[in-house]
Amino acid sequence: MRPLLTLPLPLALIALLSCQSGRPDDGRTVITFAGSALGAEGEVLAREVARFERANPTIHVRVQHTPDDATQRHQLFVQWLNARAGEPDVLQLDVVWTPEFAAAGWVLSLDRWHPAAGDFFPSTIAANTWAGSLYAIPWWMDVGMLYWRTDLFRAAPASMDEMVADMERARRAGVPYGIVWQGARYEGLVTCFLEYLGAFGGKVMTDDGRIVVDSPEGIRALTFVRQLLSSGATPAEVLTWHEEESRFAFQNGNAAFMRNWPYAVTIMNVPKDSRVAGKFAVAAMPGAPGGVSTATLGGSALGINAFTEHADAAWKLVEFLTAPEQMLERSRLGGYPPRRALYDDPRLADVIPIPVALARSIVERAAPRPATPIYSQLSELLQIDLHRALSGQVAPDQALHDAARAMNALVERTHIRDLVASRKRNSP
Amino acid sequence: MKARRLPDESSDARAGWLLTAPALVVILLIALFPLGWTVWESLHEHDLRMPWLGRPFVGLGNYLTILQDARFWQALGHTALFAVISVSLELSLGLALALAMNQAFRGRGIVRAAVLVPWAIPTVVAALLWRFMFDSQAGIANVLLSDAGLLHHPLVWFVKATTAWVPVILADVWKTTPFVGLLLLAGLQSIDKELYEAASTDGASAWWQLRHITIPLLKPAILVALIFRTLDAFRVFDLIYVMTGGGPGTSTEPVALYTFNSLLQNLEFGYGAALSVIVFLVTFGLAMLYMRGLGVDLAGPRGRR
Repeated sequence: MRPLLTLPLPLALIALLSCQSGRPDDGRTVITFAGSALGAEGEVLAREVARFERANPTIHVRVQHTPDDATQRHQLFVQWLNARAGEPDVLQLDVVWTPEFAAAGWVLSLDRWHPAAGDFFPSTIAANTWAGSLYAIPWWMDVGMLYWRTDLFRAAPASMDEMVADMERARRAGVPYGIVWQGARYEGLVTCFLEYLGAFGGKVMTDDGRIVVDSPEGIRALTFVRQLLSSGATPAEVLTWHEEESRFAFQNGNAAFMRNWPYAVTIMNVPKDSRVAGKFAVAAMPGAPGGVSTATLGGSALGINAFTEHADAAWKLVEFLTAPEQMLERSRLGGYPPRRALYDDPRLADVIPIPVALARSIVERAAPRPATPIYSQLSELLQIDLHRALSGQVAPDQALHDAARAMNALVERTHIRDLVASRKRNSP
Repeated sequence: MKARRLPDESSDARAGWLLTAPALVVILLIALFPLGWTVWESLHEHDLRMPWLGRPFVGLGNYLTILQDARFWQALGHTALFAVISVSLELSLGLALALAMNQAFRGRGIVRAAVLVPWAIPTVVAALLWRFMFDSQAGIANVLLSDAGLLHHPLVWFVKATTAWVPVILADVWKTTPFVGLLLLAGLQSIDKELYEAASTDGASAWWQLRHITIPLLKPAILVALIFRTLDAFRVFDLIYVMTGGGPGTSTEPVALYTFNSLLQNLEFGYGAALSVIVFLVTFGLAMLYMRGLGVDLAGPRGRR
């Protein structure tokens, strides 16, 4: 008798689940948005979605919260899209995922809707472009920047050499650390390294997809970072730190400089939690001879599931969420808007915590990470060798040669360059 | 009541098979099928993130690549190192613990229960705890060592390959010694007290008794502990994942973490499956080796009386 009694439960669950998808009773088209939807982020999103539904009475948007942890969300999306699930229709993509999802055929090319790509900073468009087509619209941008203490220095350092001199002065005056950053073996380490790499004039990958991170410029950059550690300007602990550990160190007054994302500005200006409230400012990471001051680009973009049944409705939502009004509203949450024109809008000054001109000067230096479908795997290989070099296991040049060899082998094995060439041939 | 004919042997056997059939089907479904699937998967190049490569059959290609993969061999070395050191520490400390708990003293019941606390703490929680204790700035390990005059500068444990292993192994020993201790205690209690009485009467020393009575008779329990612990140590994952993430570089990365990394992080199903099969074969081989080498029947003295 038991099995018969328990049978209705799964049936009821199936019935319940099937009610949730497809069309609701009122005949509206239902589209699903998957992304961060907790706390303040969720409130802003809910307000925007309500406005969207009022403006588009035939569409109903279901918001599906997915994990905020990038790795977990990525894994979830890959599993869904591999199974060719038509939902969620609209996906919040981390800026480095777009080429991967595009090459896999998981997100739609947006070219058919003729998005006005020229309205956005070129770096944010480049990051979401693959094989000549745009696959996601930039939603908000993060940039790596230099936090500096206004009680120690009169101005932000204009070059790496100046920064080193400033740190020595601050440490002689009793500040324990020169600069803190994200040195654990994870994506954050690569985002930090790319800023030094750009400063010294190196790059990870050529436009035709060859790995050149072990160029003389690259070796100079890594040697510089290694010296930060060996001179004690950066404590060895940094090699286990993520964003928050570096923020705690800076916030407690233990460091003259910090490299971090924009989110820390507001938090560290709360006097009861922060010893540096009102005593710090931000600037672009400095440059060095032979290169340019560089800010690694982070942030999110919105893409459309290639298996959606409601592509046009999904596009309407993407267009709405990335429109100037919504972008301005979202800038309160910490990121910066990717639309250039907004930096001329007087309202932006009310929503971001740093002067608009300063924000513009930093986001203009934003450099995307290599826009390739195998970025995450390449980054992982690079992380390992960077970490080996920085923890003193191998010399910087050796580490970068090892990394480049492994990365080039991956490029060959995955036939990425052939794939880009064939996609470009086939697209009009 | 009507007298019933006793069923003959063959229908007995049939009934036996019939009764075990559901269990066999379940084992087939939940153990053998996934294993077979993994083996099949390992013969393909299958990268979930690169659908353009398709899913070509590559035979033993993945295995050949693994044999040339330096990171794999290093991971295997790390795993072996971890297993040998942690298991030998756990076994010797566990034996000492068992011998102590086997003595009659007041509050023995409470001690036996209390000893299990580390074992009862979830591994991830224990790992976080130990990571905090070995934090270079706020951790108690550095404070104690500098108070004792052994350290002049706070040691950053997790950025050097050699020092990163110390908290990892200590945490594992702390967590699993009680388990080994209780297993051995159960073994100790099954040893006939009269043997010791007789030995004492003949003037045998405690050391002689330990070597010639306790240890030989404890062999089955030691073997069980050894198998459990070695296989567990060989599959070590969560402890290292939380404490070092395999770093610095990849110098504390065990095979299970490398497998997790390629299978679930990079979604390389073919290669990851091949790695899993190798881990399976190694642990299986180890289990076999123990059973042969120590010459003990795991199921007990059945059939040898």
